[in-house]
Order: sequence, then C-alpha cells, then structure tokens
Amino acid sequence: MDIVVIISAIVYASILSLLSTGFTLVYLTAKIPNFAHGSFATIGIYISFTAVYVLGVNPYLFAPVAFILTGTTALLIYLSVLGLLRKRGASLISQMISLLAVEMIISAVLNIYLDYIQFTEGIYSRSLLLRYIDFNCLGLPGILIVSTTVALTLILSIHLMLTRTKFGISMRATVEDSSLAAILGVNINLVTSISWFLTGGLAGLAGSLMPMWFQGDPQIGYRILVSVFAASVLGGLSSIYGAILGGYIIGLTEILGTAFLSDVIGTWVTSYRLLIPLLVMCFTLLLMPRGVVGIIESLRMRRYKLSR
Amino acid sequence: MDSLLFLIISDIVVYIGIYLIVVIALNLEYGCTGIPNIGLSFSVASGALTVGYLMGRIAMSMYSIDSSLDFVSDNSYVCSLINAEFRSYPLNAILLSLVTMLIAIIFSVFISLVAAYPAIRLRADYLMMTLIAMAEAIRIVGNAYTPIAGGTLGVQVPDIFSFFGSFRYMGATVIILVTCIAVFVIAEKITRSPFGRLLRAVRENEVSVESVGKSVNRIRIKVLALGSAIAALAGVLYSFYFCAVVAQAYNRTDWSFWPWLIMMVGGTGNNRGAALGTIIVIIARRMIIFSKYYFTGLLPFDVIWLEPILLGVSLILIMAFKPQGILPEKP
Repeated sequence: MDIVVIISAIVYASILSLLSTGFTLVYLTAKIPNFAHGSFATIGIYISFTAVYVLGVNPYLFAPVAFILTGTTALLIYLSVLGLLRKRGASLISQMISLLAVEMIISAVLNIYLDYIQFTEGIYSRSLLLRYIDFNCLGLPGILIVSTTVALTLILSIHLMLTRTKFGISMRATVEDSSLAAILGVNINLVTSISWFLTGGLAGLAGSLMPMWFQGDPQIGYRILVSVFAASVLGGLSSIYGAILGGYIIGLTEILGTAFLSDVIGTWVTSYRLLIPLLVMCFTLLLMPRGVVGIIESLRMRRYKLSR
Repeated sequence: MDSLLFLIISDIVVYIGIYLIVVIALNLEYGCTGIPNIGLSFSVASGALTVGYLMGRIAMSMYSIDSSLDFVSDNSYVCSLINAEFRSYPLNAILLSLVTMLIAIIFSVFISLVAAYPAIRLRADYLMMTLIAMAEAIRIVGNAYTPIAGGTLGVQVPDIFSFFGSFRYMGATVIILVTCIAVFVIAEKITRSPFGRLLRAVRENEVSVESVGKSVNRIRIKVLALGSAIAALAGVLYSFYFCAVVAQAYNRTDWSFWPWLIMMVGGTGNNRGAALGTIIVIIARRMIIFSKYYFTGLLPFDVIWLEPILLGVSLILIMAFKPQGILPEKP
C-alpha cells in the first residue's frame, strides 16, 4: 500500500480521535450530542486559512489561537443558546435541534466571511489545501508528526486532568450523577462550561490541522460529523478512552478501507467513503450498543466472576 | 390573467401543498409520537430518486423506445420522445405516474425502516444521529452513482401533466393541492382515531403504554413507515411538478429543517397548526426568495447565506419563547 495512504490514514485518525473525544466529553457532561461539532472543526480550518492568507503566519504557530477562539465560540454558544433554552425549560430534543440550527448559522456566517475575503482580497477559499506550507522531517511530512503528537499529548493531559486534579474528579462526579455531585458542592455549571470550552477547543485544533493534509471546504464539518458519530458510538459514548479508541479505529478503517476497496474493486469506490463509518455505526448499534468499552467491561466482569 | 402574478401564486400554492405533506409526516412522527426525525429529507429524497430512476425507464420499455439509448446520458432526447407519447395517450401517463408513485412509496418505506432499524429501540439521541447520518448518505449515493438519477447533474423526468396542454401549471397545481388536502384529511382521521391516541400515549409515557401490553417499538416502526410514506409522496410530487430530479436538491436545510421550523411555528401535534404554519412560513419564505434578487450586489457576499441564518435564529427563538406554536395542541 502506498505510503501516502498510510500517512493520510494516521493523520485522519488522529484528527478524528480529537474530534470524537470532544464530542464524547460534551455528551457525558451536558448529556446532549453536540450536532454543531463539525462546524467547530470548520471554524478551525478557516482560522488556519486566515492565518496563512490574511495574516501570513504559519498555521502550526496559530493552532493555539484556533484552540482558544473555537473554545470561546463553543462556550458562548453554550451560555447563550443552550442557556436560554434551559432557562425557558425547553426539552432535550429542542436543545438538540437548536444545536443543528447553530451548525447552520455558523456555516452560513463562515460562508459570508469567505465571500467577504474573496470580494475584498480576491482570494478563492472554497477548496483549501495548505500541504505546500508543511515542513519536512526525515522525509516525512510534518503534519504526521504534529497531528499524532498533538493527539497523544492532549489525550494524555485529559487523562491526567481527569485522574489527578480536583477539577477532573468533580467532572467525573458530574458525569456519574450530576445531582449528587451538586449536593456535594460541585459547581455543575462551571464543569459543563469548561467541557464545552474544551470540546470547542479540541475541535478547532483538529480543524486547524486538517488543511495541512486534507482538502478543506465550508461543508466539510457536516460531512465529518458522520465519522465523529461513528467513532463516538463505537467508543460507547460513555468514556473518553473509548472515544479515542473509536476515533483511531474509524479513522484508519475509513481511509485504509477505501484505499483497499479502490484497489480491489475500482477507484469509483472513493466517492462512497462516508458509507464505511456509517456501516460501522449501524453494526455497532445493532450488535453492541454500548460500544467497544461495553465489550471490554463485560469481559472484565466475566473474568472477575470467574476468579471468585 | 396576469401571467407573472399567476406564476407567483401557483408557485406558492405548490410549495405550500408539498411542504404541508412533509410537515404532516413530521407531525405524525414528532408531534404525535415523539420520534425526533431530523433526517426527513431521507424519505423525501428516496421518493424522488425512485421517480428519477424508474419512471423514464418504465416509459422507455412501455413505448419500446430504441434500447441503445440510455435514459441518463440521452436524457433530454428520451424525455422528449416520451412526452410526445404522453400527450397522445394521457391515460397511460396517469397510470404510469400512479404506478411509479406506489413503487416509490413502498421503496421509501422499506429503505427508511432499514435505515432506522439499528436505532429505533435506542434513545432519541442515538436515533437522531443515525437519521442525520442516513440522510447524508442517501444524498452522497444519489450524487455519486449516476445511473440512479444522473448524479450531480440530475435527470429530467417525463412530464405527466403534459396532457393539460397550455394549462399545464394550473392543472399540476390543482392536482398537488387536491393530493395535499387528501393527505391532510387522512392524517386528521388517523390522529383522532384510537391509534392516534395510542401515539400520543407513546409520546407522553412509554412505560405506561408498555404496561397495558402495547409494544412501543412496534408502534414506532409503524409510525416511521407511515411518515416516510407520506414524505416520499411529497418527494414524488415535487419531482413530477418540476419534471426533474437532482439528488443535491434534497438537502437537510430544505427538507429537514424548514419542515421542522414550520411544525414548530404552527404547533406540534395538531394538523391544523401544521397547515397554518406551512401557509405562513412558505409565503414568507417565497416572498424573501423572490425579493432576494433586489439585494444582490448591494452586499459584499452572496445573499443566499442569509437564509440559513434566518432559519436558524427563528428556530431557536420559537423553541425558546413559543414552544407550543401558534395553535397549541388541544387535549
């Protein structure tokens, strides 16, 4: 198999695991699937675009800015839209629909921004590829190293935060039982707000790395959402580690599977790439609705019972 | 009659008719039963794509048109041949359209059940994720696989209303309106029947429905089938009216979110609310679309992006401040 395909698969899997980690984090603390998650990634993509074409900065140096900006956007959406709906006592389904509405608004605002850039600066931005900016390290593209390092570092730091800090423990308490956590003095609102900030930040970071290897366009956020769903559902939507695992499994299967099938059947398969995560998601829901984590847990339980 | 004014009015009436059918389907699923079907564009698209795939091909074999011609690649020539035949034998056109409609509805019900089956017994959020993903998938397949309906370019379908001659648009509008009223009456009958009460019971309390021996899953599957049949009918009528099927047109904004907004405006769980909401929102939306060209060039961006913003903001505001809609459901 071609080295380019393998690089694509690894980069994509790292990006996807960042996205599904954020998605699961919000699902656990706020109890709703964030349908606007893909558009946070799109914001990240176009922060990189702005960095390169408008400001003339290397997108890698701008990645922390992408993290903070997208995180703030996510936090503002949580506080304004979801805050308003919760205060008015709207149902959970209304809140989910409102996130779809937010997704639509964000992508429209981005498109207006891109139109404006095109109108004033004359830069065409609807298909964006920054691969030529990337540095080279031992013959490998920099994005391969950067994306895996970023994914692993962030995942490790989230693990440390959840297990070693007081805030992480209160976050886990909120996930387990939010009303009990509230009784014990955990500020649930703060925990949820920070998890929204983190999820937005992770998605923005993932998005800002994406155009370094993949073509970006304003619709990509909605397309990648299906893969994020699949990765999170495969991970079980019940633990961060499951989401990381699911992200890597889906990312690798999606790219390597498409490459394999296009070798075997023909190149027309590549148009149907999205169907691979979709099929994985359907089979997960049919066969193991609790995901990979559920299977690992039940195996552990069985071993525990056998040992007694 | 002023022909421009007539065209505007018939356009609005057609859109009201087709959207009302979609909103009735959504209202049965979400308003009555509480299934948040946010991927309704899936059913509409499957209905329309079946028309695009099937109708021209059946007509080709029916009139034994030269089989070396391909329906997709020689599309406009084949359609002109079929249209000529349709004009001379209107009865065949009506029969063919009814058969196509029936097949489209059956196929759409089947494919919707297959698509929703993995998630129908799970919680609402899983179902929503699955339906969103499926609606995206059907659009991708329709776009990429040209034999279905011409891929990104779309296909022309034979004009079944051509026997109206110069009154084609008026005739088509009347037929769509009549179908829409029929669907409305049937939906009203269903919601007032014991089955309708059962649906509302599922929405209010699943456990109590299970406790009296009714299977919630089976009811959900039935409603999903009914809803996708109705939504597919809308897709079929839409492609009949415009004589074209383009997979890209069946996107989530037009066929999932606008119906959702209409349902929220009118009031969930009652068909009169759905009708009122459709009339208000569609008139407003068509008026905005007609007047949009006056703004082109004044702003440094394409005005079409204002539509999703308007839609999104009004959806959020309605859900926050008037969640029961204009006509609240009566107990």
